[in-house]
Amino acid sequence: MEDTPMGQPPMAEARQIRVNFTTSSPDIQLPEGKTQLLVPADIKRYGLSRVLNSESMLDTPAPIPFDFLIDGTFLRTSLEDYLKTNGLSFESTLTLQYVRSLIPPVYEASFEHDDWISDVDVLSAASRAGVWSGDKLAAGQDRLLSASYDGLLRIWNNSGQVLATSPAGGHGASVKAAKFLSSTQVASAGLDRTVRVWKYSEAEDRLSGTLRPTLELYGHSASVDALDVHGPTGRILSASADGSIALWSTSKSSAPAAPAALLPGAGASLSKKRKLASSSSAPQRGPLSHMPIHGSSAATAVLFDPADSTVAYSASHDHTLRTVDLTTSRVASTIATSHPLLSLCALRRGGGPLLAAGTSARHITLIDPRVSAAATSVLTLRGHRNLVSALSASPSDEHALVSASYDGTCRVWDLRSARAGTRAEGGGSVGESVYVIEREAKKSGKSKSRDDVPGKGAKLFGVVWDSTWGVVSAGEDKMVQINRGRDLLAAAA
Amino acid sequence: HIDPASLLPKLPRPEELRPFPTVASIEFTGHEGRVRSVSIDPSGQWLASGGEDGTVRVWGLADGRQQWQVKLSSEDAVDAVRWRPGQDALILAAAVSQDLFFVIPPIGSPELEQSSRDILDAGFGYAANGKQQLTTAAGARKDPPAKWGRPGGRLEDEGVLLKATARSPIKVINWHRRGDFLCTVSPTGQKASVLIHTLSKHLSQMPFAKLRGLAQTASFHPLRPLFFVATQRSIRCYDLQKQELVRTLQPGARWISSFDIHPGGDNLVVGSYDRRLLWHDFETGSRPYKTLRFHDEAVKCVGFHRSHPLFADASHDGSIQVFHSKVVNDLMEGPTIVPVKKLTGHKVMNKLGVMDISWHPQHPWIVSGGADGTCRLWT
Ligand SMILES: [Mg+2]
Repeated sequence: MEDTPMGQPPMAEARQIRVNFTTSSPDIQLPEGKTQLLVPADIKRYGLSRVLNSESMLDTPAPIPFDFLIDGTFLRTSLEDYLKTNGLSFESTLTLQYVRSLIPPVYEASFEHDDWISDVDVLSAASRAGVWSGDKLAAGQDRLLSASYDGLLRIWNNSGQVLATSPAGGHGASVKAAKFLSSTQVASAGLDRTVRVWKYSEAEDRLSGTLRPTLELYGHSASVDALDVHGPTGRILSASADGSIALWSTSKSSAPAAPAALLPGAGASLSKKRKLASSSSAPQRGPLSHMPIHGSSAATAVLFDPADSTVAYSASHDHTLRTVDLTTSRVASTIATSHPLLSLCALRRGGGPLLAAGTSARHITLIDPRVSAAATSVLTLRGHRNLVSALSASPSDEHALVSASYDGTCRVWDLRSARAGTRAEGGGSVGESVYVIEREAKKSGKSKSRDDVPGKGAKLFGVVWDSTWGVVSAGEDKMVQINRGRDLLAAAA
Repeated sequence: HIDPASLLPKLPRPEELRPFPTVASIEFTGHEGRVRSVSIDPSGQWLASGGEDGTVRVWGLADGRQQWQVKLSSEDAVDAVRWRPGQDALILAAAVSQDLFFVIPPIGSPELEQSSRDILDAGFGYAANGKQQLTTAAGARKDPPAKWGRPGGRLEDEGVLLKATARSPIKVINWHRRGDFLCTVSPTGQKASVLIHTLSKHLSQMPFAKLRGLAQTASFHPLRPLFFVATQRSIRCYDLQKQELVRTLQPGARWISSFDIHPGGDNLVVGSYDRRLLWHDFETGSRPYKTLRFHDEAVKCVGFHRSHPLFADASHDGSIQVFHSKVVNDLMEGPTIVPVKKLTGHKVMNKLGVMDISWHPQHPWIVSGGADGTCRLWT
């Protein structure tokens, strides 16, 4: 008979269940012959996680919180309840796939703004911009960048203090997107149809900083609603409501001249008046490449391939996801979906990324963009009650992502958790969220009446997931909200 | 034994007729008082609304954010707002009492703003040439049915660049698809109740020497040079080139509130204050092809989607009923009309519910404006 895991002899009347542990992560494989075990029938996730961590099993130096999947569903009850619910015999062997737990995101803090917040990004040692900064990133220089409908960018430290605000007269209208290129450079875009590059510098005491405009980029003829950046090459990608995406350089000398017709003050006198109101002196430039690839339908999101900065992906209201070769500015492939696409993120995998696209139809479609892929739509994530406005991949787990919706929630998803879709869902493979993050401001506020508009007053516009900062989201409630995972084992011990 | 139900034509189930709007996604709040009119611009990016607070507001359709507003009157409501068709310019027509304003909201690119200004300004040259002078048969000068000019002062600074003033309050605006003609209806205007305006000439004309009945609404045919005018009980179709009456439709309604012509050009749907919705197929004579009753209160407005096989009506019971409609180009087969969704959420205030609706130019989405002071995007 196998060892009893808790170091106690089994009670005579306690029922036991035979389980078979498997995993898809090579670094946490059990030794040969240890994968089968008898466990008490009333054991739950936490008990199983301790069993796996024990000396006789994985013998982990520090406990790893695990979750367990049975047939693509996370175990949320005891094993005996699972067997009863599913009408299974206690004699059967249960196959438990163990995965590193997604730690529940616990509310940490809110940073209050004067107006709606359209986007957030973070800087930390493990963040993309932090890695690109190399030695230039100061120890502990954890920063948060917010873009607001008041037309301003703000940089915050992790105590919730604003270190820098962009000078008035920058975008002059709602900022829609912002990202760190490095610890000293920021890109932003907005309703004024421009992309802007900013130099960020901090005082020696690191208690204040300045954001100085260095470039104004013209090329779009409608609101620029999304951005991506690639620090090492100094490139920016933008997506606009005019149906185009564009590639830009952060270097003043290598960027082409700005198209004269799009500059403020061109033509109409109303624009001239607005030009006088803003008194920016940053050089004006045009795009390296302007790609009108979505016709008259808005381009809503654009990404650099995480492994190859010469490849871009763009999503549009025209239902398509397009792969673009940035060396030729040509569309390499087009994947058509059934709904307008509003947001995009890439999950790193070997052999090319898996793309997640948020739709106006309240779900997220997982798409394999490779031309060689057998099926382009891999999985559908369902649960949001309003359109899906922003997505961010997990910083540590290739199977996880977070979404933000106009329903006022963020949802954390684990792609390993999937079931067969019902007929009403159109079949396929369907995933449900692991955690739901509500708005803290809404929770404590007045009890919400039954609204027919899900998330009314709390639409979310931006989300980013970072290993240091946690899940950072922002929207109509004028709050940047930070939720951070806490170690389950430690919390429960 | 034959089940009589089996002899009825089988209607497809709503789930099979997707996509159509099913849920409210965005609420647009800001108006003080009722919203009377809504219109989505031809690019699908902007929602314009006009309300009893005398303001016109422009909102981002994707985020629900109000980006611009102008107060057109401190006494009168904005009764109608309609974007000019075409993506070569961004011009909004708005009616307040007798005034028809042409507005360029400062939200477009410099290029778009310039082309919009050029379109509004072209007619000043025409007027200066004196071609607009009207004379009666006896040779005496006659007052034009509307006077064109600059609105002046504050309004011009805010982007309200042109106005035409009619003799009586304008309640309805509808553009011709090419964006040079538009018609207005002033139900109390007697023989000058229906006007056709030529924007490029700053010229307003009365298409009819006389009109029997009180005009309620009017519209251009989507494809042919035909013009439709609804009085309380009937809809007359005129050939604009031959200047003659082509046909008269008798929906059988006691009081018509609104109608819209199917984009294919051979069908028309009518809404009435006596709670009915009437579908006319031009092939089947002057009587309606179908009468539909889906509301407990008056049907305020109706509208077809321009590219999806959808239409909807909005009612003072606070709901919007969405229908799928299949129109076949076949004499033997009539249109198939299937109710697919009732959209509820607007509050009824003082017996008024949904005041106006506007379909998205591309997506199967609709915006409504309500007596509760809100607009909603349904997706
Ligand atoms: Mg027919």
